[in-house]
Amino acid sequence: MSAGTIFDINEFAIYDGPGIRQTVFLKGCPLRCSWCHNPEGQNPSPELMINKASCISCGHCKKVCNNESCIACGKCVSYCPLNLRKICGELLTAKELAEYIRDKSDYYANYGGGVTFTGGEPLMQPQFLAETLSLLPDIHTAIETSGYADNKIFNSIIQLIDYVIMDIKLVDSSLHLKYTGAENKIILENLASLCSSNKKFVVRIPVIPGVNDNKTEYSAVAELVKDAPLLERVELLPYHKTAGAKYEMINRKYTPMFDVNRPVFIDQEVFSQYGIRSVVL
Amino acid sequence: MRKRIKDLRKFFVYDKAHHSCRQKPCDPMLLASEFQRNNTSDTDRAVVRLKYTLDNEKPVVFRNEKIALMRTIPNPPELFTEEEMEAIKTSHRIHERGEVCNINVDYSMLLDMGFNAKRREISESIKKFQGCNDAASVHYLEQLISILDSVETLAKRYRIEAEKVGNMVVAENFAHIPENPPATFLQALQMLRLLHFTMWCGNNYHNTLGRFDQYMYKYLKNDMDKGLLDYDDALELVEEFFLSLNRDSDLYPGMQQGDNGQSLVLGGLNEDGSDSYNVLSEICLKASLELKLIDPKINLRVSKNTPIERYILGSQLTKQGLGFPQYSNDDVVIDGLIRLGYDKKDAYNYVVAACWEFIIPGRGMDIPNIDALSFVKAVQDATFEKLGHSRNFEEFLSFVKENIRKQADEICENTKNLYIFPSPFISLMMEGCVENAKDISIGNRYNNYGIHGTGISTAVDSLASIKKYVFETGEISAETIIKALKNNFNDYEQIRNKLRYEAPKFGNDDDYVDSIAVSLLDSFAESLHNRKNERNGIFRPGTGSAMYYIWHSKKTPATPDGRDSGEEFAANYSPSMFARLKGPISIIKSFTKPDLKKVINGGPLTLELHDTVFRTPEAVSKVAMLVKSFIDLGGHQLQLNSVNRDTLLDAQKNPEKYRNLIVRVWGWSGYFVELSKEYQDHIIKRAELSI
Repeated sequence: MSAGTIFDINEFAIYDGPGIRQTVFLKGCPLRCSWCHNPEGQNPSPELMINKASCISCGHCKKVCNNESCIACGKCVSYCPLNLRKICGELLTAKELAEYIRDKSDYYANYGGGVTFTGGEPLMQPQFLAETLSLLPDIHTAIETSGYADNKIFNSIIQLIDYVIMDIKLVDSSLHLKYTGAENKIILENLASLCSSNKKFVVRIPVIPGVNDNKTEYSAVAELVKDAPLLERVELLPYHKTAGAKYEMINRKYTPMFDVNRPVFIDQEVFSQYGIRSVVL
Repeated sequence: MRKRIKDLRKFFVYDKAHHSCRQKPCDPMLLASEFQRNNTSDTDRAVVRLKYTLDNEKPVVFRNEKIALMRTIPNPPELFTEEEMEAIKTSHRIHERGEVCNINVDYSMLLDMGFNAKRREISESIKKFQGCNDAASVHYLEQLISILDSVETLAKRYRIEAEKVGNMVVAENFAHIPENPPATFLQALQMLRLLHFTMWCGNNYHNTLGRFDQYMYKYLKNDMDKGLLDYDDALELVEEFFLSLNRDSDLYPGMQQGDNGQSLVLGGLNEDGSDSYNVLSEICLKASLELKLIDPKINLRVSKNTPIERYILGSQLTKQGLGFPQYSNDDVVIDGLIRLGYDKKDAYNYVVAACWEFIIPGRGMDIPNIDALSFVKAVQDATFEKLGHSRNFEEFLSFVKENIRKQADEICENTKNLYIFPSPFISLMMEGCVENAKDISIGNRYNNYGIHGTGISTAVDSLASIKKYVFETGEISAETIIKALKNNFNDYEQIRNKLRYEAPKFGNDDDYVDSIAVSLLDSFAESLHNRKNERNGIFRPGTGSAMYYIWHSKKTPATPDGRDSGEEFAANYSPSMFARLKGPISIIKSFTKPDLKKVINGGPLTLELHDTVFRTPEAVSKVAMLVKSFIDLGGHQLQLNSVNRDTLLDAQKNPEKYRNLIVRVWGWSGYFVELSKEYQDHIIKRAELSI
């Protein structure tokens, strides 16, 4: 039985697939997108997360800590009177996760939904994910992925899934490298195989001001997916300034490489010219 | 929205331009001292006070309005001098202000009849009582006629004023009503406004508009069938009527601005299982959606067969952030009311009172918020007195239940010697009052008392902590926990944090805790079962808290769920404010486990939804599914808020930017910037729990 690390499970997810869903956040991501709003999803290991904004500096946490730098042991967590500390990341087996999901799966099924795996990048824990999926054959499953994974892994997991939400950040490869820390060749290959697969899917574009909010990028995405028969729509997620909120909590600085104050340019016209439905979330 | 309505909304609500027509406040004791000198009977006082107010009202008609009437007298005078009031209070229990309040009159008893016919009916009754030499009854009935005269005179003065300013629509309407029953939908709205206005002039507050879409429907249908009105015309008139409810609302008595009970109920099952939702119900929802005003507050009656489209329309309204509609589940409420002894016909006709309580129009003189039991006190007393000697959790729980019974004994005893001021005008719209010459304040077909229950989640969580740590794991001894509570957790911080953040909580779909809630609510129901009040009514247990939860929580020391001394409980039927919960679905699953038919006085589960869950029409339809799931699972009453904590914080700092920001407070909605800071802070704290 394989084990994996997750950092959250949300109830009542409404933007991540059909119906009302629960979403499971798998920890660890190979990309380092400049606009990432879940930075605690990047590091594959558990880490300490602190809500510093509400801290009253009572010092109780410091008294119990003997380590020079944090080893995510969690000893300080129960000493905070405001419960501002937690260990982000929990190791559990595929069986345990499947049981957790199954506990309320009837509810979600009644309202047209199921479970969505997101992250982080869920494909970074392929064995854990595959095993969990194999235990949920009767439940509607979806994945939200960056597509940055070995082709074989991508294709085999997709086969186990009912619905795919695939992010396309940038089609321009050098810009992709610049803003996400990785090349997009493998992503575009996976997108191509998704387009010709038998899975319903949506393409999701995080719309980042001055990065990909231009006609060239929109058209490039539309060009890539225009012939996919099972593409439901393109979803545009305009950048929101709250993306930076969680960096401080994991003791990191938010250093976006773009102007966060610039308004985003949204153009749905490009997609309708290609006969593709689009929606702004 | 039509331009005329936009203009009226700006005039009455945003600019409050009509306030300049108001008269100076009168001396509250203007009439009372004379009443005392003359030893005037209480009924006569109520009649004189109402007639005084009506006779001194100054008609104000605006040119572009079709539905007239505004209050110019800010405060109707008092019935009793302070000295008299003291004396009454020493020998009687007085509920709230002593006035008839929080009931639902049957407006159709005047509306469908007209005053001329009502006068004939009263005269018949007078003859009957003259025949048996019952002078008191004759006098009472003559007083009722004199009230009708005063209302008619006011209507006549309004007609003259309307003619003077050239508003022939208003003039023509007042030429016909209230003597005659309304000939059109517009006249029906004007007459309803007149009746409701008169109730306020008599200081009767918190009286809901009830099933507006039912008793007004025939007037609308008639006009539509005749081709006098189309859908949009009707929408315009309903919008104007809704606006009229916002004209005088700052004058109404209440806990805070907005707490005025101007609610209405839409839809609902008929006895034959059919659905009463009609075109007027839909028009009301649309009107509210367009106007975005705090009044009227809308309750939507739903059941397992309600189509999803109606929940979607309701969720669009929730999206506006008004804090309504509030949903009530006919499948649970009707059965619950029948179990309490309400006739089937009446149970099917239920409405929601000013806030949450389920009451019966035209026949109910229930007092649905007469007192409240503190679940937390029951647990707290048992902890201090019995925890050390309890052998196991079951035994300890039995002491808690015993305390619930003892509190119930006390509460019921305290309701005795109730006195309510006479309310002759309201009596004209309640069953049997004219026929029997009996004022509504004495009672009616239903005279039941509703008892709220505060702090259910704090009590349940406290018991769960005790069960787990004292009786099961043994991690915390009875002695330690008692010391920790008495010290308000000073020197016991680790224990506090464990109890507060690690212990099992109600709202996580965990049977370990939820079964305790089932047990406490059952015990509450049993403790009131088969008791009679002095008006020959029963006691109804409920899941509401009204403002009792604030009073109870302030005097409650630290509790075994890790709550600090004085920290407030959650309002109504909701999870603890600091419980870390998995999400709304777990909350719904937990809170629908108790048999809510047994505790059906009223009191909603409240969910705070972050405003980002309403971003797209598809997302709104998923919120609608969430609401439907609560109903499908057997929930009784649900109220949702769309909130954004950042917006609220900004509004607190910059009130001038947010004068129209509306939030739900308890059973009612109000303008956020007009609330006192204490309530603003409470709402912000609640918003932090949003999902």
